[in-house]
Order: sequence, then structure tokens, then C-alpha cells
Amino acid sequence: MFLQTVVTGLSIGGIYALMAVGYSLVFSVLSFSNFAHGAVIMLGAYIGLGLVTKLHFGLGLVVSGAMAGAGLIAIVNEKLAYSLLRKRKAPSLYIMISAMGCAVFLENMVYATIGSRFYAFPAFFKQSVLCLFNGTCNIALLDLFAFGISILAILGLHLFLIHTRTGIAIRAGVSDMTMCSLMGVNLDRLISIVFFLAGIFGGAAGVFLGIKYLVYPTMGWVTNKAYIAAVIGGLGSLPGALLGGLILGVLETFVSTYVSSVMRDVFSFGLLIALLVWRPNGLFGRDTGEKV
Amino acid sequence: MLSVTRLNVHYGKIHAVRDASFRVGKGEIVSIVGANGAGKSTIMWTLAGVLKPSSGEILFDGKPLPGKPHEIVRSGLALVPERRRLFAELTVQENLIMGAYLRHDKAIEEDLEKNFALFPILKQRLKQYAGTLSGGEQQMLAIARAMMSSPRMILFDEPSLGLAPIVVDTLMETILQLRENGMTVLLVEQNAGRALEISDRAYVLDVGHIAKEGPGKALLDDPEVRRAYLGELA
Repeated sequence: MFLQTVVTGLSIGGIYALMAVGYSLVFSVLSFSNFAHGAVIMLGAYIGLGLVTKLHFGLGLVVSGAMAGAGLIAIVNEKLAYSLLRKRKAPSLYIMISAMGCAVFLENMVYATIGSRFYAFPAFFKQSVLCLFNGTCNIALLDLFAFGISILAILGLHLFLIHTRTGIAIRAGVSDMTMCSLMGVNLDRLISIVFFLAGIFGGAAGVFLGIKYLVYPTMGWVTNKAYIAAVIGGLGSLPGALLGGLILGVLETFVSTYVSSVMRDVFSFGLLIALLVWRPNGLFGRDTGEKV
Repeated sequence: MLSVTRLNVHYGKIHAVRDASFRVGKGEIVSIVGANGAGKSTIMWTLAGVLKPSSGEILFDGKPLPGKPHEIVRSGLALVPERRRLFAELTVQENLIMGAYLRHDKAIEEDLEKNFALFPILKQRLKQYAGTLSGGEQQMLAIARAMMSSPRMILFDEPSLGLAPIVVDTLMETILQLRENGMTVLLVEQNAGRALEISDRAYVLDVGHIAKEGPGKALLDDPEVRRAYLGELA
């Protein structure tokens, strides 16, 4: 039971981390919380659902298709709703309000076109369970798969940011956007890449959420949790997003299992408040000081 | 090489640069001196493409300067900005990689070695975060970073700011050295005396417009300049 709870918690935590990475990336580059990210995740889930029900793709292709689709949607979202504000040097609060508008718009677009029905993914290997200790411990393969993919994806992103020219440019942009452009970096393109990365991680998270629970227009609001994870870890920090997601996922699962699932969100938000009091910048938050 | 005609720049409602005209010939060191708030940095950020001029013409090698910062770097103009503006959370090496961001040629390694010859200390600090360097080392890295784009002309905005006098000596020698190697330099300084000493020609900027121009040495001897910008008592 204990091990089972840990694994379930880690898999939920992994999904939170995938979503939190999207928040963190965008926040670190543009200093605003992209509240449309949840809608992108939701659309990713619908894309995955479409691929499996209409085209009967396998899990690998469904996840990749949803990732690519959500990545492109994130780019278009930035181009249409944020880039003009950005170029007029609007305060980040305005961009955040625009993001909230996008979230509501996209949700209602789904209501108007696809409808408000709840959809379930067909079972990929939902029923497949790994039995340990004579059946006292049942671990769903999907949980292991989701956890594994989440960790691999975040590790991949980390390596990308450390070792590639584009990755270094993204980190340079985080440090000083103007100077980054004076190095010859095309900022519009760099920001598109950042949104694409956030989108593909969101697309994967959307499919996993859809498989684990259901697909519906407001499912994106679960990103509240991812947002908490990102803040706990320290907005803008990648290891922070990962650790924040895992801590939150495990905590929630333990509370649901051993206390009561009704109390789950009380603990999540309580953790957030406690952490903000103790460390306002989050676990890995950056204290930015400039040396003159 | 660079020719600016009747340049006007506005910061919102503030008219920061008024009808400024100046030129920099190939292989010259030209400086613009003036008091704090005279519009010197505004001119630099405009040349780098970060600020947009409200009117005026900027020709680089006879062609209009492109509009976006990344296109300007590509055309061969690099800026060493005021207060260095290094990527503090990136290592020295990554800062240098960013300097060469647009390049794919073979000479990158060569240019890196040239920079290490000029600033040997940087080679020892490659893996260190740029934010942990001393002020003088940061200035070296800022120059090296700009040089990595292999520019034809380099802009220095207040390079001596915050540096100890002895470090400023080295800095001025470095700028002379760069010119020896064929670089064209536009230098903006509050520290007018030091800038005029090494300049072929100079302009005095006074609340947004060019008040005086002439050879560096001549301006250095000009009583009015001495009184206004070199702190000499009348």
C-alpha cells in the first residue's frame, strides 16, 4: 500500500512537473504567468483523443502528436495574444490578463465546437498492473510510464538548455533579454521556441491526464496545481519545477490515501502558503543581485 | 564608416538627442564626451537598434543601418554596454559562445585565442560564472564577448565606469590595441580626460546636441571643455 501510494504520487507529481516546466520556462523568459497554459494542455489532450479515436494511433504516436500539436498552438497563442503587447512594452500584468482571456476563449471554443461531454481514452494498458509482494502492492504500468516519460523529458530539456546553442541563448535571454538580442539572437524566434517547448511538455501532460482521468473543456484548470508546483520549486527554475511537482504529487496522494481525498487541496494550498512564508522565492528561487 | 546625420531620439516626451550629426572614419577612435544625462548612452542604444530614432539618418559603410538589434550585429557593429551587462548566470565560456552566436565560420577558435592573448585571465576563468568576476575582469569579458562577433566597428559605452584608475589605464591601452589591429572605435565617456587622450577626434555633447567637435588633443586643451567636463576651476 505504501509503495503503491508512492508510485501513484510520483506519477501524478511527474505530470504536475511537466506542466510546471511550461510555466517556469515562460515565466523565466518573459516574467509573466501564462495562465493560458492550462488551455493548451487541454487542447493537447483533445488532439491525443482525436488521434486515438479517429485514427487509431498507438500510445507513442498519440503522445508525440499531442506534443507537436500543443507546441504549435502555444506558438500561435503567443503570436496572436502576447507578441503585440510585448512589443509595446506593456507591463507583464497586462500580458497575464490577456493569457486569462485566452484560457476562457479556448475553453469556450471547445464547448461550442466539440461540446461539454466528458471523454475517456480507450485503455492502452490501464488494466495492466504490476503485482509485487503477492498482490499486496499493485502498481499501474501507466503510472510508471507517465513518471518515466516525465523525468526523461525534463532531463532532456535540462541537457538541451545546458549544451545547445539555442539552449544557451534561452538562458542568456533569461539573464538579460536586451543583451541577448545584441548578440544577434532574433528574440521573436527565441520566444517562439520557448513557447513551443512549454507547449510540447503541456501536450504530453494533457494526454497523461486524459488517460488517467477524463478529457473535458475545463480540465486545464488542474494546472492550478502545476502552478503551485512551479511556485514551490521557485518560478523560473527547472529543478524547482520538477521537485515541486513531485513533492506536491506525493503529498496529495498520501493525504488522499491516509487522510481523506476531501482534504487533499487543503494540504496542497496549505503547503503553498507555508512555503511562501518560509521561502518567498521558492525552494530553488533565484535571488538576483547585480554586481556593479 | 559610420555617418550619423541630424539624429533625433525621444524617450517618451523627453527629447534626448537633438539633431546630432557625427561621423567615424575607418580605423579611427572617436569619442563623444559630455555630462551625465547629455544623451550619450541614448545615442549608443540607438546605434545598437534598441532605441528607435524619431528622425535622422544612420549610414554604416554607406548603407542605412538595419532596424533590429540582431540585424545590426550581423552587419558588423557590436556594443560593449554601460555597466557591462554580462550574462551573470552564464559561465565565462558561455558568454563568449553567445558573443559568437551568429557565426558558423572556422575562425571562431582563432578569435577565441586572440581574446585569450589580450585577456589571459579569462582563460583561467572559463568555467566560472560571469557574475563572480571582479569589475575589471567583467569589463574584459564584455569586450571579449563583443569581439567574438567579429565586428568591423565596436561601440564602448562608459567602459571606465566603476573601475579603479589603474584598471582604467589597462582598459585604455586595450582600446588602443584594438585600433592597432584595425578596429574602428566609437567611445562614449563621462571620464572625458581619459577618453580625449586616446581619441583621434571627439564630439562634446551638451543636453542632446553636439556643442563642439575637433581632434581629441585640441578639445583636451580647450579652456571651455576643461572647465565644463574636466573639473578644472575657472
